[in-house]
Amino acid sequence: MKKVFALLLTCVLLCGVLAGCAGDNQNPAPQGEDSLTMAVVVAGTFGDRSFYDSSKEGADRLAADFGVQVKTIECNNVDHTQQIRNAADAAELVVLVGWEFYDVETVAPEYPDVHFIWIDNATSAPVENVLNITYAQNEGSFLAGYIAAKMSSTGVVGAVGGEDSDTINDFIVGYKQGAQYANPDVKVEVQYAGTYDDPAVGKECALTLNEKGADVVFQIASKTGDGVFQAAQEKGFYAIGVDSDQKYIADDVIICSMMKRVNDSIYQAVSDYLEGDTSKWGTTWVADMASGFVGIGYGDEGSTQQISDELKAEVEDLAQKIVSKEIVVNTTR
Amino acid sequence: MGNLFTVGLFQQMLRSATPVGLAAMGGLMTEHAGIMNIGMDGMILMGAFTAVSVSWLMGSAWLGLLAAILVGILVGLFFALFVVKFKSDEFIIGTALNILAGGLTVFLLRSLFQVKGTFQGTPDRPVVGLPRVNLGILAKIPVIGPILDGSSVFILLTWLLVLVMWVFVYRTPWGFWIRAAGEKPDTLRTAGINPERMKWLSSVICGGFCGLAGAQLALGNVTLFSEGMSNSRGYVAFACVIFGAANPGKAYLAALMFGFFDALGYRLQDYNINANLTSTIPYVITVVMMVYVVVRSQRRQKQR
Repeated sequence: MKKVFALLLTCVLLCGVLAGCAGDNQNPAPQGEDSLTMAVVVAGTFGDRSFYDSSKEGADRLAADFGVQVKTIECNNVDHTQQIRNAADAAELVVLVGWEFYDVETVAPEYPDVHFIWIDNATSAPVENVLNITYAQNEGSFLAGYIAAKMSSTGVVGAVGGEDSDTINDFIVGYKQGAQYANPDVKVEVQYAGTYDDPAVGKECALTLNEKGADVVFQIASKTGDGVFQAAQEKGFYAIGVDSDQKYIADDVIICSMMKRVNDSIYQAVSDYLEGDTSKWGTTWVADMASGFVGIGYGDEGSTQQISDELKAEVEDLAQKIVSKEIVVNTTR
Repeated sequence: MGNLFTVGLFQQMLRSATPVGLAAMGGLMTEHAGIMNIGMDGMILMGAFTAVSVSWLMGSAWLGLLAAILVGILVGLFFALFVVKFKSDEFIIGTALNILAGGLTVFLLRSLFQVKGTFQGTPDRPVVGLPRVNLGILAKIPVIGPILDGSSVFILLTWLLVLVMWVFVYRTPWGFWIRAAGEKPDTLRTAGINPERMKWLSSVICGGFCGLAGAQLALGNVTLFSEGMSNSRGYVAFACVIFGAANPGKAYLAALMFGFFDALGYRLQDYNINANLTSTIPYVITVVMMVYVVVRSQRRQKQR
């Protein structure tokens, strides 16, 4: 009896685990015999309505336009190295989304026929079949900081970071510089949540910032950031979204989003690959403002616009100055 | 340091402490009954998921809360089935429960609502949160008034529940039997009470409280469900139970202390202290306090 139950429990557990890291294969477009198989591996899970979902969106577009067969794997923050191998066994092109996949440096040479794209980080030395894509999030955040300082009536703006790490701080240095560019006396307050999955903590961080006078808060914390939006709605202050255009999540308080176009950069790299251009592999491609991969999103048409057209025009001018290197944005990289 | 101890700090302390404290009320029941329950985190997560789904479906936070408690009770029964009836290792079952809850809630979220990550209702029908307290004239009481005014209703109800649990554990025969089931089960059996039944009861109460804790987390602290949102609060609750020697009052105080250092940790980031370091403060304090509790109890035993 006990054994039967133990077996039963194991089965239930397995179901649970499988449900947790279920991959789903989507191939909506009809594909030819030799269509490309591509695996998108994300370090966390989909559903952040931000960074990871953006990569999925890019892959879906490739599937629709080129008939690429897309497989997805969610690591749920564990077993990153094993999932690189699983993906490489199953696909010709592997897109690794998240800074956590640093083992690609050692794994990739074992799969010489597979091409890897690593999003948001770079191998310490070039690897022949790995294309690193990093983003100039500091440049986009500069604009977000400029908007925040212009929209603030208290002269204090805030940011909630997921953790105290180089990537997150790259956003923050840009944000600070942008805010100070708009108003040299502005105070920039930062809170690190120490987690990407806990909206309750995100809300507490935002409330703490609001208590210090911040009336515009930039969230850089994935799902933790959902709590930032709720705090903004509760206390009536503004929030700025991250990575994707998050305006629709809370139209009334999210004034804009700092967009890191992961979707477009993946689309670009893979369509190059399909055309036989693999010259980028073995290098690090910095997707920046000049190439249009970072910028500010103001939501879809019909969404509430808190930001005036004049300010939007100023932001556009600043973007030009960043592109022409007239303004050099600080970075932690 | 003057602007460190603000109204906001104490509000945050109460908000962080309440879900943990509620779960600890349940955890101390299983602790008294001699079950080492590390499955509370999963119970909280399932409670949070149920609360948000039912609140959204029925448009009532209270129904969501009720459903969360019911699901918690079911999970408690499930836990007791393996731990008490089949005498499996409680550590393994607890871990299994946590993993199961993590996977099951994600699976249900994606299959029932076609949403990944976070669910906060649909534009036409948002998830309803639990009501907040309006203290009215009482808000004028210095210090306490501003801290409590506008807080989620369970922040206050938890105090009542702590009292109820204290009376239950120390002043009713049921509480006495549950404690006896953990300490001297054979003696209890000779007295004509079945210790297994007491263990079942404790597990069910624990599940109910954890469900409530999940509902408070998802409908009181925020109004959304997010995958893995319990974020180890069940383990913190377990630590509070051990700390407070399974006494409801002390366990709640431990939860408050945890909430306090948590809130303080976020504010210390202002003083150029690395955030990775400040976030460890509550856990460091936990370890230090544990050592203190153990050393003190050993000394007492020596003095006897």
